[in-house]
Amino acid sequence: MITEPRIPDPDGFYAALLAAHEGRTEAQSADLNARLVLLLANQCADQAVLLACIDAAAEAEEDTSTTTTPIP
Amino acid sequence: MENFAFAPAYELPVWPFTPPPELNSTAVVRHPVVIVGAGPSGLTLACDLAQRGVRAVLLDEDDTVGVRGASSRGICYAQKSLEIFERLGIYERIAAKGVTWSFGRTFSGDEEVYNFNLQATSVSTQPPFINLQQFYIEWFLVDRILELGVTDLRWKSRVTHVEPLADGVRIDVETPAGSYTIEADHLIDATGANSPIRTQLGVASHASRSTDRWCISDVRFEKPLPTERWTWVDAPFNEGRGVWQHLMADGVWRIDYQMPEDCDPAEISRPEVAGARLREQLGPDVAFEFVWIGPYGYRDHLLERFRHGRVCFIGDAAHVVSPFGARGGNTGIQDAANLGWKLALVAQGQAGDALLDSYDAERRPAAQENLTVTSRSARFLAPRSPAEHTLRRAVVALAKRHTFARALVNTGRMSVANDYPVAPLLPEGARTVQNLPLHWADGRQTTLMQLLAEGTQCLGLWFAPTRAQAQAACDATAALPLRLLAVGGDSGLPTLQADETLARHLGIDPSVGGFVLVRPDAYRAALLAQATPDTIAAAVRTALALPASSP
Repeated sequence: MITEPRIPDPDGFYAALLAAHEGRTEAQSADLNARLVLLLANQCADQAVLLACIDAAAEAEEDTSTTTTPIP
Repeated sequence: MENFAFAPAYELPVWPFTPPPELNSTAVVRHPVVIVGAGPSGLTLACDLAQRGVRAVLLDEDDTVGVRGASSRGICYAQKSLEIFERLGIYERIAAKGVTWSFGRTFSGDEEVYNFNLQATSVSTQPPFINLQQFYIEWFLVDRILELGVTDLRWKSRVTHVEPLADGVRIDVETPAGSYTIEADHLIDATGANSPIRTQLGVASHASRSTDRWCISDVRFEKPLPTERWTWVDAPFNEGRGVWQHLMADGVWRIDYQMPEDCDPAEISRPEVAGARLREQLGPDVAFEFVWIGPYGYRDHLLERFRHGRVCFIGDAAHVVSPFGARGGNTGIQDAANLGWKLALVAQGQAGDALLDSYDAERRPAAQENLTVTSRSARFLAPRSPAEHTLRRAVVALAKRHTFARALVNTGRMSVANDYPVAPLLPEGARTVQNLPLHWADGRQTTLMQLLAEGTQCLGLWFAPTRAQAQAACDATAALPLRLLAVGGDSGLPTLQADETLARHLGIDPSVGGFVLVRPDAYRAALLAQATPDTIAAAVRTALALPASSP
């Protein structure tokens, strides 16, 4: 799994991602994300990398949930 | 409301209870092999042993085939099972009665989102699949067992207690004419998912039950549909739930509907309710009659070990998986074919007892793999959370547009002949060898199964050995259950024509040659690139758990 930056135009990619979600309900956004994950997974096409990415995604969520401080 | 008719009940054969000699004797008779349960796996094992000339006692509490009349249970018989049935002599009857198929399609709504053609990877004489009601398979096996005349088939004989002994098993049997006790060198439990023997021995099954609910309608109708396996992930005519559609013998379709988890099984299987579902699917003008309606939920279990001393568990007694992919009955049949030749060789003193341990070492991983594969299908078909529904929606949506996503659509991965892992008796692991059509050097036709149908021996397929090598190998293996054949060349051995399909399928580079050891269950146990008489003899000894030097 490559975690060094590789996206040529990170801000442009992020803006396009946000644009794709614009005007969608939460459920529609979830559907879009799921389709995107599957399309990207097929681009990767490396089982070990895919499994490492799934682990990394799950770990990032755990980090967030343990470090988030409740807003008073 | 529309009235729905049922077809007349099948007239299934009934076999007589014959009081066995032990009933009026105080002596406890010892039998080499006692099999309990005349379902597909128990019958296959009895037939396999009979074909090898090994006498077994087969006990069954019923006196007919099938369960609950025409309830057909298993319907799809996979190539490996069909090859076993070819070797046992009932394949022609199965092919004549059943429905041959190799193509499957999966739909979402009205759109096809996945298909497969199993014929593409087949080199066997047998097709990828034949659909046939399970009771026909059992019926043909019983007929064949009676024809072979070696097996002691005892109907209306219920096992009430088993007691493991140091060198065998004591078995109490209850019959209409009274009870008696026998002993067995080896007891094979083929009593199915709810095995009373397993329960009595306290063997944990590690069962889990799904909340997914289905309702089978076996039905006959006049509407020309292709003889393909059709599945819907979300059928418009079943409120967006799954549907299976498959043809069996006698023009009977198996239509299996996924139901809501909280459904009332009695209500959804009422003929009026099941009929309304069918009417929705078939349209207003198609006449149909029911053969069987049955609601079910599925479960799974897997024993930690399939061999407990002198007791072996086969078929559903050892493992149960969800029905997707036909991995239940086929696995039981293949358990039986794995165990049959091992029991035969051990009973004849031609193999070590450790060969029976290899039944567990090979078939338990196969069952584990089947459990993994079927559990994945079940989970695709019955998502457990909103996130799983979202991911499945994504798969189906993409599959309609892009081929890559079709591989993710999972309405069951069809039963395969499982590979066996590397183990002491299988230094390279093992994989099935399909029933290739072959030709002798003089042009006569044969097949791998025909070569394996005589006696109980391994086949040694040796690509173009020299005369000196062949003679030396015959001498080195004379005491071993091995039939040496040449493929091409002029060695003096019985010789098959060199055949590129055969070489490729066996994993041999025809330009280099080599030797392949095929076990009696048509699994490749060894591939020797540089075969010598000594390495051939050593490979056979390893595969049969025999000591390295002559006993």
